[in-house]
Amino acid sequence: MGGLKDKLEAWVQERIDLVPIREFAAKKKVPQFVGSFWYYFGGVSLFLFIIQVVTGILLLMYYQPGAQTAFESVRFIVVKVKFGWLIRSIHSWSANLMIFSVFVHMFSVYFTKAFRKPRELTWYSGFILLLLSMGFGFSGYLLPWNTLAFFATKVGTSIAAVLPVLGEPMLELLRAGKDVSTATLTRFYGLHVAILPAVFTVILGAHLMLVQMMGMHEPEGWKSLPAEKRRYMPFFPNFVLRDLLLWLIVLNVLAILAVAFPWEIGFKADPFISAPAGIKPEWYFLFMYQALKYFPAKMGMMEGEAVGVMLFGVGGLLWFLVPLWDTRTPSGARNRTITWVGLFVILFIIALSAVGLR
Amino acid sequence: MMAPRRFMWMLLAVPAWASFVWGAPVATAAGAEAKPMTASAATPAGAVAPAAAKPAATAGVKSPDGCVTCHLDVGGAQVDAYKKDIHYQKGVGCSGCHGGDPRSDDQDAAMSKAKGYIGVPKKADIPAVCGKCHGPSHGQASGFHLKDMRTDYDASAHAKALSGSDAGPQCVSCHGSHGIAPASDPRSPVNPLHVAKTCGTCHGDAAYMRNFAPGLPVDQYEKYLSSEHGKRNATGDANPATCVSCHSNHKILEVKDPRSPVYPTQVPATCGHCHADSKYMARYHIPTNQYEEYKSSVHGEALLKKSDLNAPACNSCHGNHGAAPPGISSVAAVCGTCHQSNAELFGKSAHRPAFEKEKLPACVTCHSNHGVKAPTDAMVSMDKPAPCAKCHRNDGSDKSAPTILRMRVALDSLSLGGILAQRELARAESLGMDVSDARYSLKDVNQSIVQSRVAIHSFKLASLVEAARPGIRVTVLAKQAGLDAVHEYRFRREGLAVSTLIVTLLVILLYLKIRQIERSQKNEKK
Repeated sequence: MGGLKDKLEAWVQERIDLVPIREFAAKKKVPQFVGSFWYYFGGVSLFLFIIQVVTGILLLMYYQPGAQTAFESVRFIVVKVKFGWLIRSIHSWSANLMIFSVFVHMFSVYFTKAFRKPRELTWYSGFILLLLSMGFGFSGYLLPWNTLAFFATKVGTSIAAVLPVLGEPMLELLRAGKDVSTATLTRFYGLHVAILPAVFTVILGAHLMLVQMMGMHEPEGWKSLPAEKRRYMPFFPNFVLRDLLLWLIVLNVLAILAVAFPWEIGFKADPFISAPAGIKPEWYFLFMYQALKYFPAKMGMMEGEAVGVMLFGVGGLLWFLVPLWDTRTPSGARNRTITWVGLFVILFIIALSAVGLR
Repeated sequence: MMAPRRFMWMLLAVPAWASFVWGAPVATAAGAEAKPMTASAATPAGAVAPAAAKPAATAGVKSPDGCVTCHLDVGGAQVDAYKKDIHYQKGVGCSGCHGGDPRSDDQDAAMSKAKGYIGVPKKADIPAVCGKCHGPSHGQASGFHLKDMRTDYDASAHAKALSGSDAGPQCVSCHGSHGIAPASDPRSPVNPLHVAKTCGTCHGDAAYMRNFAPGLPVDQYEKYLSSEHGKRNATGDANPATCVSCHSNHKILEVKDPRSPVYPTQVPATCGHCHADSKYMARYHIPTNQYEEYKSSVHGEALLKKSDLNAPACNSCHGNHGAAPPGISSVAAVCGTCHQSNAELFGKSAHRPAFEKEKLPACVTCHSNHGVKAPTDAMVSMDKPAPCAKCHRNDGSDKSAPTILRMRVALDSLSLGGILAQRELARAESLGMDVSDARYSLKDVNQSIVQSRVAIHSFKLASLVEAARPGIRVTVLAKQAGLDAVHEYRFRREGLAVSTLIVTLLVILLYLKIRQIERSQKNEKK
């Protein structure tokens, strides 16, 4: 056995020089401190993304976009295809867990100030990955073409229309027409299975490469700590095996959720019925949706909702550009404002989501 | 000596009067003889009317009434008729209808437009002329206790016809003009003994009816004469229903008008008005429970509660104008007008000659008549009160008894099979499993149940089994689909338990491996 392994290594070594990779793996280390746990959420997000890719490809074998076929094909997957119910349920649950994990990952990076120089690009790419993940969620939600998805998409896309000047063209770009129709469905399908995966893979690749190039971020407090007091864990095998351990636990949770709480298929979308009561977007859009309700109809010259959408846009942009305006942390000073802003954002999201869920 | 001018007017007036009377589409039945009426024309059912107003020899228009005085002198058919007219007897003179001033001795003044003289009223104006007294504005003020017939007439189909053509029916068409008698008077054309003929004068005239309702049949009077009502009416019995008993008199509405007493959903109550009145029907010695039975029947529930206009009312089986109970031999044919397949199978079955021999009414023997209930499988049984048990014995002497029981088994397999399949599918659904395909397939079971219940009228086991078999097969498959879904649910849970166990085991092993590696790393450092 050992002989075969040696032979294989030698065969590869003759073609690809593995020595730098081995050296890299041997040298790579992860800081060990109270907050080390948060490091794992990047890996968990990656694991859930891999599950999304695998289950998504399997669903693609049977799914047929189109107003007359989408719902029927999803039903066929759930009822007729062997383990189709499991694949679809895992895909749906994993999508939600992934977005949750990405959010946790982002906030952990934010609060540990890991976005500071030289990791700005990692932060930027990560934020784009979060937006793409939400794009995956929004486009994928419509694909089963059920009543809730149809009307949630109708409401969701209509928010774009409130923006001045660009609103209407954006709405038509999203919907592929004036209204949500089979053209919207095929557009969202294209986004979900081709455009977003392609863009996501490229940015994810860049994100992972940047993480490897920069190495793991060390806590800010360590700067003043003597070298002997800084504890590290070898990335390989210690951190990798721990990652694997957590992945297995996540897999277990995912399986339990998928089997015990199978994702409902609902009723086929009927554009001619009135919207059912209590239409809500996915939970990760809920805080924005709920917040928009509190804006008055008119704010000066503009519609209140348009002001709200623009405020969210500005807020998102500021969040995205945090490495630029957080000037104190890179210089070594503590910046409590960043922490307070982060806490406010978390409380804002939790509070408005809770109100929206009621 | 009569003034020449006045005499000339009289000569002109005679043909005018004639056209007033004979120009109407119906001839007045002035010479009709009949027994005093008791059925009022004002209600759908023949309620007993007050005593007829007898002609009073001493009655008449009180002087001074120049019109009457002069026309009585002149004489003529109209004048002779008018002497017997109820209006004359009650003191209503010529001017009551024709206007003018009866107190004036000057004919020109009396018959001047300034004095309101209208001459012979136009046909379209007649309802207004009669309505002066018989309308809403008069009421009790005259002391005659007149009913508001004008308002009723204005709402009627007849008024609608008159508004389109002068030939349309108005007051004079039915009541005549100068010889008007109350409906209770045997001389009246609207007396119960004459009213059918009066209505038939127009409604039996195809050429005339074409002008107003080309699609309406014109054989109602002929049919009426053949009906039980008509036959008894012809004997001088004024109690049985006439046209006005069902259609009302002045406010006659089209059948399609939901307010009409002969609109399908109103028909049972209209017939029941007389036929459910035990006192009224006592003289005919027939039951009066038909309406009560009908209301709770499958037909009555469909028509009266679900407003299903396809459901039969009384007239669907008995006929309307030719109403009569269907004879024993024609029951199957009557029911078969709707239940065609059942009647056809029954006609070819062994039961038909057997029933005929025993003089049993076909469908009614098993299903009853007015109170017919929705059939159930329990009807196919050898236990009383099942209809089979009325004739067949279950003591071993009757060869049909085992066949009847086998038929019941086939029906039960179908209906119970459906119930069991539903139960299994509901169980699977309660576990969150999708069994909508199987549930959808159960629709075919209903079809099979209907076909089996039809097939049973062949009274052949093979025919019944053939109809039931596809449905039974569906119930078996649907039930199995339910069981499979429940099994699949358990399989998923068990699979989850096994996979969770395996992954948990892997987690433990990995944890131990990590500890082992880290321990050896510590030892190496030391």
